[in-house]
Amino acid sequence: MLVQFYNVTKVYSNGVKALNDVSLKIDRGEFVFLMGPSGAGKSTFIKMLFREEIPSQGQIFISSRSIVRMKRSEIPQLRRSMGVVFQDFKLLENKTVAENIAFALKVVGTRNKDIGPRTAEVIQMVGLKGKEKSFPGQLSGGEQQRVGIARAIANRPLLLIADEPSGNLDLDTAQEIMALLYDINRKGTTIVMATHARELVRSAGKRVITLEAGRVLSDVCALEL
Amino acid sequence: MKIKNFGYFFKEALTSLSRNRVLSFATISTMTICILFLGVAVLMTVNAGNFMNQLESDIQIIAYLDNSLTEAQVAGVKGKIEQTDGVEAVVFVSKAEALQRMQQKFAEKDYDLEKTLGKNPLPNTYEVKAHNPQEVAQVAQSIKEIAGVYKVNYGQGIVERLFEVSKWVKIISIGFMVILAIGAIFLIATTIRLSVFARRKEIYLMKLIGATDWFVRWPFFIEGILMGLVGAVIAIGLLAAGYSSLVNNMQTALFFIPVVYQQNMLINLYLSLVAAGALLGVAGTYISLNRFLDV
Repeated sequence: MLVQFYNVTKVYSNGVKALNDVSLKIDRGEFVFLMGPSGAGKSTFIKMLFREEIPSQGQIFISSRSIVRMKRSEIPQLRRSMGVVFQDFKLLENKTVAENIAFALKVVGTRNKDIGPRTAEVIQMVGLKGKEKSFPGQLSGGEQQRVGIARAIANRPLLLIADEPSGNLDLDTAQEIMALLYDINRKGTTIVMATHARELVRSAGKRVITLEAGRVLSDVCALEL
Repeated sequence: MKIKNFGYFFKEALTSLSRNRVLSFATISTMTICILFLGVAVLMTVNAGNFMNQLESDIQIIAYLDNSLTEAQVAGVKGKIEQTDGVEAVVFVSKAEALQRMQQKFAEKDYDLEKTLGKNPLPNTYEVKAHNPQEVAQVAQSIKEIAGVYKVNYGQGIVERLFEVSKWVKIISIGFMVILAIGAIFLIATTIRLSVFARRKEIYLMKLIGATDWFVRWPFFIEGILMGLVGAVIAIGLLAAGYSSLVNNMQTALFFIPVVYQQNMLINLYLSLVAAGALLGVAGTYISLNRFLDV
């Protein structure tokens, strides 16, 4: 098991109960959609995966390690086993495509001589060959998200977390991005993706967890929806 | 810090400095002003201390001897004074010499003081210097108890007040410097916070990717240290120019106030200010950065 939630409840300091007694497991190699209206707890769920938030009650294990009992100094190691893709891409505007990816590799302590080849490899993988020296501002939304994905997979993560990755993209571009994610998943990376886009989910035939008001409303295969 | 990363951190710091030129300039200016004030405060403290030390070292005890003592007895009293704890030096002033001094001080040349008085009314005295000016009262008391000494004088009352003033000058100037340093740290932290705030998204991203706190911190620390050093160098330039012209003017116009201008002291001061600049940079960065690392 890669991810295990046991009776997880999260109450923020302002009194908002974002998650309420959530228990679930995600296996290695799965592709899981996380659905639900705004305020259902998707963001909180995602943030707990990379330990930006910890539960108020309950336990979370990632690769059999408790993130609740984890020391501050162990967090970087946890996060290095994951990649995160954001709705707003979060690319550094003053760095080129290649520099954005190389930066992420540098941050996690990759040896200098390995950074160049690995950067070229992931750029090829997401189909951006030829755009290495472009700045994010010179790319389309879809291309920028491909850079975001390349950056997330550069460090060969076990788990790829995508928070509304197609939220800012039109449907055609979104479908291209989905194809890329399915491809990454086929090569063995576990993916958890939060989304609003039912049309993307329905055709996929993957596992769908639906949250509502902080609880798991349903946890089914998309074909049953 | 891993050595292989130093070049990277240094480059990041320089890039950030040149990218945020206006903020860097503001921070360096703040540093310069703070260090300049700190330097002025230190120089004032050193000079006040020096002035007080000089006044204290002028303090001496005058022991008046009985007129009835023979020469041998006078010499015996000297031996006893020299054996008293805390005495550094003893100088004999004969009654003839004392009269001569008085003549010089008060009388015109063609006026003979001894003739007017008929006889020399002044006693033989010993001028005694104490090792430690602070102990002068106890030393004077011990000397007074020696047989043959009928009176001692060391400026009773004035001396005690001098020590009191000297103590407060020290306390106030140290307090002033501490307050100045604390103020400087927070002023600098505020300016650095602006530059950290401008890069908060980058810091957040780095933390989410799996950067350690120190990986994020180092470029900012180097940036802070560089700005502190530049600020210190400018401040020292201004301070050195200002102080040397002050020293030159004081020596002619206000010669009676002693000004400290030993090279060693000044070099130590300037080196300390350089270190203070680097330290202010580190402290300011540390304070402003921590909140943004909590991801």
